[in-house]
Amino acid sequence: MSVRRPPPNGIARQDYDSKKKRKVAEIYQALSSSPIDVAALRRMAISEGGLLTDEIRRKVWPKLLNVSTDDLPPPPEPDLRERSTDYQQVLLDVRRSLRRFPPGMPDEQREGLQEELIDIILQVLERNPQLHYYQGYHDIVVTFLLVVGERLATALVEKLSTHHLRDFMDPTMDNTKHILNYLMPIIDQVNPEVHDFMQSAEVGTIFALSWLITWFGHVLSDFRHVVRLYDFFLACHPLMPIYFAAVIVLYREQEVLDCECDMASVHHLLSQIPQDLPYETLISRAGDLFVQFPPSELAREAAQQQAERTAASTFKDFELASAQQRPDAVLRQRFKERLRLEEPTKSVLTKPRTNRFVKLAVMGLTVALGAAALAVVKSALEWAPKFELQIFP
Amino acid sequence: MMAAAAVELESSLELSFSGGGGGGAGLGSLPPARSRIFKIIVIGDSNVGKTCLTYRFCAGRFPQRTEATIGVDFRERAVTIDGERIKIQLWDTAGQERFRKSMVQHYYRNVHAVVFVYDMTNVASFHNLPSWIEECKQHLLTNEIPRILVGNKCDLRNAIQVPTDLAQKFADTYSMPLFETSAKNPNDNDQVEAIFMTLAHKLKSHKPLMLSQPPDNSEIQLTHGPKPALPCWC
Repeated sequence: MSVRRPPPNGIARQDYDSKKKRKVAEIYQALSSSPIDVAALRRMAISEGGLLTDEIRRKVWPKLLNVSTDDLPPPPEPDLRERSTDYQQVLLDVRRSLRRFPPGMPDEQREGLQEELIDIILQVLERNPQLHYYQGYHDIVVTFLLVVGERLATALVEKLSTHHLRDFMDPTMDNTKHILNYLMPIIDQVNPEVHDFMQSAEVGTIFALSWLITWFGHVLSDFRHVVRLYDFFLACHPLMPIYFAAVIVLYREQEVLDCECDMASVHHLLSQIPQDLPYETLISRAGDLFVQFPPSELAREAAQQQAERTAASTFKDFELASAQQRPDAVLRQRFKERLRLEEPTKSVLTKPRTNRFVKLAVMGLTVALGAAALAVVKSALEWAPKFELQIFP
Repeated sequence: MMAAAAVELESSLELSFSGGGGGGAGLGSLPPARSRIFKIIVIGDSNVGKTCLTYRFCAGRFPQRTEATIGVDFRERAVTIDGERIKIQLWDTAGQERFRKSMVQHYYRNVHAVVFVYDMTNVASFHNLPSWIEECKQHLLTNEIPRILVGNKCDLRNAIQVPTDLAQKFADTYSMPLFETSAKNPNDNDQVEAIFMTLAHKLKSHKPLMLSQPPDNSEIQLTHGPKPALPCWC
C-alpha cells in the first residue's frame, strides 16, 4: 500500500511491476466474468494507479457508465453544424484548446481531432435539447476523444452529460453554484481554521469552478493525471470532484494560511494548481472525506450558503440534496459500523470545530464506495422518490 | 514543444505577479501591502481578447496561446505613479453569458474601474455591449466608477467590422473614453500599457476615497470625492 509511483530502485520497481501485473489480471478477470463484475471494476478505477492504461480504459470506462459498445450513436449528419445554435461558441473554445492535445502531435492530426471534438459536442447537444453547452465542457469531451476515439466518446459523453455533468448543463449555472457551496462545509469539517480564513478573505469558490466543471481537465497539464482522475470520478458519486477540490485546498493549508487574507491573494494562490500534487494520496483522502462527511450531511449547510446568497432555495436544490440520500446512507452506515468496531469511544461524527479528518484504512473503503457507486450511474438524478423530498424542510 | 510553450506561459505569468520568487507557491511573496490597490474588472464577449489584454499589461507581451477563461482569472502588476507604489489588479472574466449571470457578480464587489472590451473584427461583440453595460450597472453600487471602452484587434485591418466613428458615437452616448488597440501588435508606443496606466492615473487622482487599502492619511470621509474633471468619466 505504500507504493505511490514507480520507485527508482530495483527491488521496489519489481514490486511495483508485479503489483501492476496483478492488477491488470484482476481487471481482465472482472471484465470477462459473466455478468461483468462492475463493482470490481469500480474498485480498480478508484484504487492506486486507477485503470493503468488507455487500452484498459477503453474497455472499462463504458462499463462504469453502463454504456453498450454495440449500440453507438450514428455518425454526425452533414448539416449538424448549420443547425446548431452553439456552433460558434464551441468552435471558439475548441480552436483555443491546443493545450489539451499531446505535445508533439502533428498539426494536421490535431486539427482532425478538433473537428471530431466539435462534432461530438454538437451531436450530444442536439440529441439532448435539455442540455446547455458551457465553456469547459470541451475540456471534458477532449479527454474522452483522446482515450476512446470519436464514436465511443460520443456515447460516453452523452451518458456522462445526462448524469454526472447534468447539473452543469442547466440553462443557468445556479445548480453549479450550489454544488460549489459544498466546498466550504467540507473544508470546515476538516480544518475550521482554513475555512474561517477563507471566509474572512471573502475568496468565494469560483477558483474551484473550472476544476469542478472540467473534472480538472482544464487545469492539469499532464494528461496522465487527468485520465487518472477521470478513472476515479467515473467510478464515484457525481459530487466527488468537489471533495477532491476540498482535498487540494486542505493539502495546501499552510500556504493558504500564510497568504495575505484578501480575496485576490487567496484566489490567485488557489487557482494556480500545483502540477506535482500527490494524486494517489489525495484521491484516497477524497474518498475518506466522502465517507466521513457524505453529501447528505453537508446538504443542509450547503443549502444554507445558497439561501444566504440568493434568498431562494429552489425545488432543484432539494431534489439535488435528496438525490444524494441513498449512496450516502449506505456508505455512512458502513463507516459507522467501522467506527463502532474500531474506535468505540471516539465520536468522530459529532464533534464540531475541531480537526475531524480521520485517516481510514484507505482503499478498503473503496469497496463500500464502489458498491454504492454502482447504483449512482444508473440513477444519479432519478434518485429522489418524491417522499424523500419531505426530509428537507 | 507544446508542453514547453505551456509551461513557459505559466511561468511568465507567475513572474508577472509582483513580488516574484514564490515559485509555485505564488502569492506567499506579495510585498507587505501598504501600497494602494486598484481593482479593475475586464468584461466583454467571448474571444474578444480580454485575457490577452490583461496578460499584455501584466506580463508585458502577447501570450502565445490562451484558452477560454472559465470563471474569473486574476492578474496583477505593481506600478509606480508619481512616486507612489500602486498595485493594479485585473480581474479577467469568462465571456460566455451563463458565467456572468450567476458566477461573476462576486467579483464586481469593490471594483474601482470597469473595462469593456469588444472585438473590432466582430460586430456582434460590439452590439452586445449594451447588455454588458446594463449588467454592470446592476452590480455596481455607484455610477461614479470609471468605465472605459476598448476595441481590440485593430491590427487586423482588413477584417475590421466596427468603424471608429460608430464606436466613438457609442462611447460618447455612454460617456466613456474609447481606445482602439491590439493586444498582439500595439503601436510603437505601447498602447495597452497606456490604456491601463491612464486608467490608473485617473483612479489615483479622482478616486482617493474608494480604495480598499487607503494610505495612512486623515482624508477619509463618508462623502464621495469631487466629480471627475473630465465629463467622459461618468
